[in-house]
Amino acid sequence: MKRPASLVYAVDDVPPPHVIAFNAVQHVGLIAINLVYPLLIFHLVGVPLPLIANLLALGMIVLGAATLLQVLRLGPVGSGFLCPATFSAAYLSPSLLAAKAGGLPLLFGMTLFAGLLEAAVARALPRLRAVFPVELSGVVIFMIGLSGGAAGLRSLLAPDAAPMSADEWQVAFFTLAVMMGLNVWGKGMLRMLCALIGLVAGYAVAALAGLLGGGQLGDVEKLPWIGVPDFGHLSWSFELAMALPFAIACLAAAMKALGTITVCQRMVDADWVRPDMRSATRGVLADGISTALAGLLNAVGTNTSTPSVGLASATGVASRRVGIAIGVLFLALGLLPKLTTLLALMPRSVMTSALLFSICFILINGLQVMTSRLLDARRTLVIGLALFAGAAVEIFPVIAAGAGAVWRPVIGSSLVFATVVGLALNLLFRIGVKQGVTLAVGPGRVDPGEIDDFLSQHGSRWGARPDVIARAAFATHQLVEAAESSWRSGPVTLQASFDEFNLDLRLSYRGEILELPEQRPTDQEIRESEQGMRRLAGFMLRRNADGVRSELHDGVATVHFHFDH
Amino acid sequence: MEITEIQSGTVTAVAVKGRIDGATAGPLRDRLSKLIASGLSRLVVDFREVAYISSAGFRTLLIIAKQSEDAAGHLALCGISSEVRRLFEIAAFTDLFLILPSREEAIAELAKSGGS
Repeated sequence: MKRPASLVYAVDDVPPPHVIAFNAVQHVGLIAINLVYPLLIFHLVGVPLPLIANLLALGMIVLGAATLLQVLRLGPVGSGFLCPATFSAAYLSPSLLAAKAGGLPLLFGMTLFAGLLEAAVARALPRLRAVFPVELSGVVIFMIGLSGGAAGLRSLLAPDAAPMSADEWQVAFFTLAVMMGLNVWGKGMLRMLCALIGLVAGYAVAALAGLLGGGQLGDVEKLPWIGVPDFGHLSWSFELAMALPFAIACLAAAMKALGTITVCQRMVDADWVRPDMRSATRGVLADGISTALAGLLNAVGTNTSTPSVGLASATGVASRRVGIAIGVLFLALGLLPKLTTLLALMPRSVMTSALLFSICFILINGLQVMTSRLLDARRTLVIGLALFAGAAVEIFPVIAAGAGAVWRPVIGSSLVFATVVGLALNLLFRIGVKQGVTLAVGPGRVDPGEIDDFLSQHGSRWGARPDVIARAAFATHQLVEAAESSWRSGPVTLQASFDEFNLDLRLSYRGEILELPEQRPTDQEIRESEQGMRRLAGFMLRRNADGVRSELHDGVATVHFHFDH
Repeated sequence: MEITEIQSGTVTAVAVKGRIDGATAGPLRDRLSKLIASGLSRLVVDFREVAYISSAGFRTLLIIAKQSEDAAGHLALCGISSEVRRLFEIAAFTDLFLILPSREEAIAELAKSGGS
């Protein structure tokens, strides 16, 4: 592991106390925006204010414990990176369904189920890519954003909601404008903490407009500064019909945790080449246990905080000690009843603006993940029809009302329906896709476009990553060029085979074997001889692939290239 | 492959378009060698429109860098895309050349150095 130059404090470094404290406060401020998810759920099902405040206090304690679990590496649990926990949008839509169908006990029972499921699949997660390809993960992320945003808008605009007053509209626009303005034109910490600053500004303007809590604001003053939350109301229930929405949300959360921890690995190691699955699966296990703990303590589902990892990258402070301080700070915030009650009073205009702001980034993240693979007609249809299926449920909820009891859990949620349609089409469209293909190039002058077209066409059918296809194309071009002088007769035959985890190339030609040196030839050797240039080609080919070997048999030289996918 | 020369004071920028491989590295080397032989040894090679470079291309760069140095000049590269930069990395060539983001920066840098 090589320390990147931009890293000021690495994972095991111990920064001065004021650096730890300042960074921990920034992280908590950044994570605060996601408090909007539990607040929205509790408000939409009409939970009384004192109970919301108590549930938020328990939620803070869960975030503290979850962050410590991720950072401390206890037994097989925890990645050890500065990767704090936050409430997750992934659980927003299923949690609303559960809370409406069976109240808080069902919400917390299903959250516990999702957490246990995530913990159970943590180790198998990397292998699930074969049936759950990356572009489908993008569909899930996009639908999390769409369904969550739609739920937020319904709280304002649905026919049965109390109409928005002119003052509420003004507060909503002002809050969103502050968040957007600081995000687009702000610099440094102002930009980083734009959501928190927008929330505080929204609270202030709502208070001036008389929209903050009404008579209940006085109750905040009567509360003690410090108090332990009440655990007396804990209860859980389970319903099979809710298992699918929560299973999909848990899978999305697990994949996001896997991605966030991979970003942590890259951030602290300048020599990073590919994900280390040991720390990643330990992190996903911690993430699952944290959500299970959230269900147990009556909070909503949690996940690793990607913006927080972005903050660590921007400041260069990735020390584990900061993570411990964040955990302790959250535990302390859970003991402040005045604060949690003030948060529980968040006006719906402020809440919805915060929700829409955070949803924007989820939607774009989903689009980016969807288009991160080469897409052919099959994959275009999988993505397009899955998105249409999800959108149809949001636009025409009557579809779910008309479905039978068996199908209602699937069609009742846009997130679930889009995922199920995507999964089914993905399996169907596997029919007729060849996993092994062959191309003969030459003899005579080779057209580079022919090789590029062949690899990119089949890469699209396979759903391969563009960067891996680019490496395969380089391997082919460079080998054909380097072997030219020893290429006796006949074509160079390229055989390519793919599964979700591997791309293998096998290039055969009648001629001499190409040397694949581990050491680069000297500058002088490269300049002064053709042999030096060929050895440079062999050196590059070795470093371009994740695995390479060559053999000579009956005058036919064969080079095997392996690329991890 | 297309090669365009742009003179900027004592620095010559050479914009290359296409692939630098076994078929095109020779003509590129001849063109750059002629510039050096004519006294224009402060050269910027603009990679903005180069999508691919092979070992033959790297050999050309090494040869031109040496010729330029022997003529008391200097060679700088600019506009390298992320994929071509990856090829520089696997060839272990990133530390061998002065590489700058834009043509303007590369010309300004070479204009500061001595030579013709």
